[in-house]
Amino acid sequence: MAKTKRLALMALLTAIALTIFVIENQIPAPVPIPGVKLGLANIITLVAMVLLSRREAGAVLLVRILMGAMFAGSPSTLLFSAAGGALAYAVMCLTVGLFPENRLWVVSALAGVAHNAGQLIACMLVVKTPGVLAYAPILAASGVVTGVFTGLAAMYLLRALRKTKL
Amino acid sequence: MLNLLFYHKQGLIDKHGRFNYNTIMKKKTWIWVLILAAVVLAGVIATIRISRRSGTYALITVDGELVERIDLSKVRESRDLVVETAYGRNIVHIEQGAISVTEADCPDQICVLMGKLTTDGGMPIICMPHRLMIEIEDDGLDG
Repeated sequence: MAKTKRLALMALLTAIALTIFVIENQIPAPVPIPGVKLGLANIITLVAMVLLSRREAGAVLLVRILMGAMFAGSPSTLLFSAAGGALAYAVMCLTVGLFPENRLWVVSALAGVAHNAGQLIACMLVVKTPGVLAYAPILAASGVVTGVFTGLAAMYLLRALRKTKL
Repeated sequence: MLNLLFYHKQGLIDKHGRFNYNTIMKKKTWIWVLILAAVVLAGVIATIRISRRSGTYALITVDGELVERIDLSKVRESRDLVVETAYGRNIVHIEQGAISVTEADCPDQICVLMGKLTTDGGMPIICMPHRLMIEIEDDGLDG
């Protein structure tokens, strides 16, 4: 892929991820558990990682988190999405090469758990009470469920994108 | 021995008897389905157990610092406690055997939606933007 094309694709993916992120923020939380959400913008991070590279996906993620906080969040949500995003990105980088593309949902599930773990750590630092650990099990479970969902979504998106001979 | 033959046929071990991790990664979808399902199941079961922990004292903390420790079993008349800090404002409703957040000036309102935390258990109420946390102090007498 030509350099210009990669840059255009990165910009496009960032814009899409940001849109998804802002729209998802407008929808009220489906379950009243702090930290549980679908994380649909992660679909784009996964797609960027497969179509482009780890580094470029990291850039897309970083810009999305920073601009997402500017558009939709507050300083405290920035802290959580940054902590979750950083850990999820690290796990994605480590595992994406280990699995074939049709097993991308496993990568995504692991990243989902890592994302929630990062959020929980940030939460513990903020609230300064070990009691938040009560949420660790349900956050691990929800990380797997939402991770598999976004992973499958990313796989279907990749399949469709390949047909367009991007 | 039969086992080894089976693993060999599946491509899990090569002819030298060494484990072939690549094949495991590539072939065994069900292993991952099983592992991930186990995590979900364990998480749900652990959460149910945690939410059954009971105690009579409720702790209200902001930023890790204790605001109030209330014996919920001894509350005669229900009252509202206004917790106002630099982070924001929450109204905590205290009644006999239960505590809840009824109002918050935060955008997500998760703490309000979480409902009541009772002396019989429940998940701690957290208001992340306001660094507020309400939990039941475990009296250690749970089953």
